[in-house]
Amino acid sequence: MQWSAGSPRYWHEFVNHEVCVTTADQQRFEGRVFTVDPVSASVVLLSVQESERPSVRVILGHAVTDVQILRRGTEETERQMKSVLLPDRAQSLSAEELKSRRESVRLWLEQNRVPVTEDGEVLRVANALTISAPYRPGDCSSANEIILSRVQSLVESRPGAEAPP
Amino acid sequence: MSGMKTPVSVLRLPRGPEPNSRGFDPTSPRFIALCPTTLPSSSSSSGSADEEEQRLRAELRERFLRTLLLMTGKRVRFDMHEHVRVHARFGASDIDVLNLQVCDLETPLGVQREALLRSQDVIACSFEV
Repeated sequence: MQWSAGSPRYWHEFVNHEVCVTTADQQRFEGRVFTVDPVSASVVLLSVQESERPSVRVILGHAVTDVQILRRGTEETERQMKSVLLPDRAQSLSAEELKSRRESVRLWLEQNRVPVTEDGEVLRVANALTISAPYRPGDCSSANEIILSRVQSLVESRPGAEAPP
Repeated sequence: MSGMKTPVSVLRLPRGPEPNSRGFDPTSPRFIALCPTTLPSSSSSSGSADEEEQRLRAELRERFLRTLLLMTGKRVRFDMHEHVRVHARFGASDIDVLNLQVCDLETPLGVQREALLRSQDVIACSFEV
């Protein structure tokens, strides 16, 4: 099957794994898949070599003839990749730390009479606002400015909250 | 390859946008790729499958756009056909990734101040983070 004829579901299977991409002119590129552009089917690879700066390679979709998985990635490799390529989103928190932070935020909101429920990894306030990991003021999302402003300042003033970098 | 700093005048200017259309091209690869998923589905089960597909598509595309952002302003190595390699500073890509705008393109003739690379001619772009 032609690479560019794939579906987002198919391409997403490769994300975070170390692959070898073969191109039309028989070149080979190895690296960890950060993403595959659904518009052009271009593959973005991150290669991290010791003592070298990380390098990114974008292989244009039209040139890809084959992609083979060499080694599957882990939660750790996903985190490392994100810290290099998505520095604003880098989660330096483990699953346990995230859970305890989420619990702490939830309790603080409850103490302040804000109706909050837990929905998986997300906190929901009165069906009008959500707070996603890692539950900082900037992670609040709502269509209602008044609720957003209120909840954001609460999250910011949570006792024991880490100071923003 | 010494004396690479001599600017060379641009030989051909890029084509501007269509003057008479609203900018939306139904024959563009992007529209053709998205067309099936913009049609409403009839049953609820395929509705949620479409939602999942759309979510994955959005996630993949966002990561790609952030990669392009990371590449902007950086010196990038372009691998072209026939093992040709050139270096340039990456400016921007168009929405369908058909053209890449670069500056200070180093060629055997000298440095092109501004240039447009067709993505069909490019196999890969590499840069350091």
